[in-house]
Amino acid sequence: MDSKNVMIIGGGIAGMTAARELAEAGLSVDLVEKSGFLGGHAIQYTCKATSECLQCGACSVEKMLKDVVGNDKITVHLSTEIETIENSNGYSIKIKKPAAFIDAKKCTNCGICYEKFKEDDLILQGYSKNNTPLYAVNREKIEENKIALKEVCPEGAISVSDTASFEDLTAAAVVVATGFTPFNPERKGTYGYNRFSNVISGLDLERIKRRNGFLARPSDGAAAQKIAFIQCVGSRDENLGNLWCSQICCPYALRTAESLKHKNPDLDVTIFYMDIQNTGKSFPAFYETCKDDIRFIRSIPVDIFPVENDNLNMRLFDETEGTPVMESFDLVVLSIGIMPNSENKPISELLGLALDQDGFFQNSDALNKTSTSNDGIFIAGTAQGPKNIAASMAHAGQAASGVLKYLGVTE
Amino acid sequence: MNTKQQNDMEKVNLSTQIAVIGGGYAGLKAASRISANGYNVILAPQHNDTDNNLAVLGVSAAETDRIKALENDVANDQNVEILPLSTLLEASGMPGNFTLRFESAGAVLEKSAGAVVVATDTAVNPLHQIYGLTPATNVVSVSEFENLLASETTRKAIEDGKKTVAFLVGFAHEGSPLLMKRVLNCVSDIVGMDGCSAYVYVNNIKVADDGLERLYTRCRNSGAIYFKLQKAPTVIQENEKLTVSFYDPVIRNDIELNPDIIVCEEVLVADNVNLGLAEALHIDVGPMGFLQKENVHRLPVASNREGIFVVGSAREVQDLSTSWSDVDNMMLRVRALIGDGEKSVAAKAVVDREKCTICLTCYRCCPHGAISWDDKAVISSLACQGCGICASECPMDAIQLADFTDAEMTDRIKAAASESAANAPKIVAFCCQNSAYEAGLAAKAFGHQLPAGLQLIQVPCAGKIDIHYILNALVEGADGVLVLACHTGNCKSEFGNTYAKWRINDAYQKLEQVGIEKDRLEFKTLASNMASDFARIVIDMEKRIGQKKG
Ligand SMILES: Cc1cc2nc3c(=O)[nH]c(=O)nc-3n(C[C@H](O)[C@H](O)[C@H](O)COP(=O)(O)OP(=O)(O)OC[C@H]3O[C@@H](n4cnc5c(N)ncnc54)[C@H](O)[C@@H]3O)c2cc1C
Ligand code: SF4
Ligand code: SF4
Ligand code: SF4
Ligand code: SF4
Repeated sequence: MDSKNVMIIGGGIAGMTAARELAEAGLSVDLVEKSGFLGGHAIQYTCKATSECLQCGACSVEKMLKDVVGNDKITVHLSTEIETIENSNGYSIKIKKPAAFIDAKKCTNCGICYEKFKEDDLILQGYSKNNTPLYAVNREKIEENKIALKEVCPEGAISVSDTASFEDLTAAAVVVATGFTPFNPERKGTYGYNRFSNVISGLDLERIKRRNGFLARPSDGAAAQKIAFIQCVGSRDENLGNLWCSQICCPYALRTAESLKHKNPDLDVTIFYMDIQNTGKSFPAFYETCKDDIRFIRSIPVDIFPVENDNLNMRLFDETEGTPVMESFDLVVLSIGIMPNSENKPISELLGLALDQDGFFQNSDALNKTSTSNDGIFIAGTAQGPKNIAASMAHAGQAASGVLKYLGVTE
Repeated sequence: MNTKQQNDMEKVNLSTQIAVIGGGYAGLKAASRISANGYNVILAPQHNDTDNNLAVLGVSAAETDRIKALENDVANDQNVEILPLSTLLEASGMPGNFTLRFESAGAVLEKSAGAVVVATDTAVNPLHQIYGLTPATNVVSVSEFENLLASETTRKAIEDGKKTVAFLVGFAHEGSPLLMKRVLNCVSDIVGMDGCSAYVYVNNIKVADDGLERLYTRCRNSGAIYFKLQKAPTVIQENEKLTVSFYDPVIRNDIELNPDIIVCEEVLVADNVNLGLAEALHIDVGPMGFLQKENVHRLPVASNREGIFVVGSAREVQDLSTSWSDVDNMMLRVRALIGDGEKSVAAKAVVDREKCTICLTCYRCCPHGAISWDDKAVISSLACQGCGICASECPMDAIQLADFTDAEMTDRIKAAASESAANAPKIVAFCCQNSAYEAGLAAKAFGHQLPAGLQLIQVPCAGKIDIHYILNALVEGADGVLVLACHTGNCKSEFGNTYAKWRINDAYQKLEQVGIEKDRLEFKTLASNMASDFARIVIDMEKRIGQKKG
């Protein structure tokens, strides 16, 4: 067994960063990603610059992805999951590929399959041009569509078999970088997410901006003119038992608002909030700019009411009158945050690791948040708790450093 | 230009001694890890001891023990030479071979170093004067209050006196989760004392760190009262008597309180030695005197110069665990750079010593501090990032960039501008490879509609786009030229986009002189993930130029 092989579970920014660092230090890496694409959540975001970069970090993800796919010490396994893992003198791991997937060696990225099946959600399009194939089979829809899939690709790149295939791998150390699950805003029923078309989540906002370059209203595709953000949706919520701040939703709301206003100075932005969290070292100055451009209201609306033209009404408190008033918006963004990956429980059981009281992976040493009770396994990124992209990268670098030390490559 | 010479690998010997500047918990950890990896360490503490800083950053007793043990290990480490209370006077040389001159204990010492790690501390400034308060036994800073709680006798006096404590946070300064954590730990102590009460006047509660929302809620459930206000309350200090009041818009009334003790916020700031260090080391200063610009290319621990790393509170206010995470990241970088002290590197930029007149333009404009001189300019292959700013600025055209020589660029421009595009307008887009070039390729890959006559020319940095390139493209037949750079603040070489913009402005003047319309040339900024914006920019130009063609 090659003792210097490392398995990384999860190909988001944290997993990719750990992979690159380990590969640069001379180790071979297997990077296992469940979805068809590298980059996790953060590869879906778009730039939040105004006339200058606002340090959102999204372009770092694109860069890292390029580095990872270009590094021949890293083997990327897309659409792959860990089936079993055993620890005896190193780790023996069985990985599983679904019954249908696109073979990267044959796919020419022509997009024929996507054009044919995008409406059915059967073929998904990726986010980065550096992630090839650019398309992936939606694993949830494989079963009933195997025949159709087999026929569609002129290159015969869609590999269809009766059952999933398995492969055995070994690793001397493991990095868990399985990331987070965004809060599902449907759980806050009174906001009408998925019922009112112009109530969108922060993640929807990113995707819409990336696709169009501007904020198009889902109801009619028109550029939104008067928008509101509601902060802390799902985070800092005692009723839900979510006693943590997601750390990223204030920064993304402020940066996105500023970048949208840069492109459309007439845009009217209101942010409903409890407490605004910092964006970085220059936050005090940035916050002053934001206060000039954005109306901040310190209260979290309880309800959203649909009105004519797919607009949305919310109640706000008028401080001078001391009374509530109704106001109408074109579009409402729910600033959803970072929840533990909904599969953390099975993954933690598979690996024999502990979760903390919120459901994130528990670090065993308070001063090293990548540490676990198992010496050969390290945590990286939001699997351990809420983090932005920069912090996820630093955390993953630390995990890589831990692996190198564990394997005796460094001290 | 001789391409063979450019691609030659240069063998360099690197010093395996590493300098660590700053003896706080980040510096100690750095010294210890670097030494464990077989390198010699010069540890240059900037202040007298670590104790002060440990207290201000709210380090727990158990954590303090770990730092003390570390301090002890480092003091007894044969591979670590400590220069007590030292000042860095001057630094010269290049990555792998820096020479540092320190003043320490009245003597001037010269030390060699392959790499330098800056690990300065955080300092603390009280903010009571902003509230119009004078320090007194009952008006204290967070640090002072932490000390009161830490000592048996004063703690007992607070408890026995059943004191009411008011905390003022977030009105004089936005604050940070680290400060908030320290305040909440004090609040937690107070509400845990029988008969004591805690009132927290706070603007934005900074709970963006692990465990803080829970701590905040727990304090509230244990009886702490939070008043969340947008403006500071009115605070009156008359001898011993303290009054805090504010207007509550919901109940439309004044709320007044007479606490026994006021604990006033403080601000965590950059170490006051940072600016001097930046000057000596020729590294950029970021916001608030921290030693890293807000440029995502520097994250986590890089400075603008290869071989000089910034960790812990040297780059941003950081707690103990994050500082130590930085140290681990630094270790990866130092190992990658220094290795076992020998390395082969390919030159990215080469000076033609015949042409160089030693005007030192290149030395002044290199954003990565990669240029020094003997009797001619010399570029360090290890330090150079290959941006090409120097090559474009050199008045003698004495610098050529591997893969982007002037001859090669001229050929590429000619080929691009004369590429036939039937009747479509010919557009040549000079694209920075870090941003716009990626965005352009993504726009193609994802099938965005693009002009038929569009040609991309990749450049290592917008700072490598000479004014000649632009004019050449127009002369060779381009109907429009785009210069696409990174957003301000996102240039990997910091100023490449600024140079490009200046050159565009010069080019506009030249175009005017020869009667070419200004709108055939455009400067825009992009990021790699802006495929749709890329498409819009080039299509807009095509439309504009197409109208001219008629
Ligand atoms: C709406 C929104 C906007 C944001 N905007 C910003 C921003 O502007 N700037 C910023 O810095 N941060 C932002 N963030 C935070 C950012 O998304 C995270 O910091 C980052 O994505 C964390 O990366 P990660 O690798 O830890 O997790 P993820 O991005 O979640 O990646 C985890 C990866 O692991 C894979 N995976 C999961 N389980 C398994 C398994 N069992 N086997 C194999 N693979 C698995 C997943 O498919 C995924 O690819 C935002 C977050 C949200 C929700
Ligand atoms: S705003 Fe974000 S994506 Fe845009 S350049 Fe800056 S860091 Fe990159
Ligand atoms: S970052 Fe802001 S919006 Fe997100 S949970 Fe924290 S306080 Fe709420
Ligand atoms: S700018 Fe050119 S001429 Fe001047 S010192 Fe540098 S290489 Fe020599
Ligand atoms: S190419 Fe850039 S980094 Fe290299 S010496 Fe010239 S200006 Fe400096």
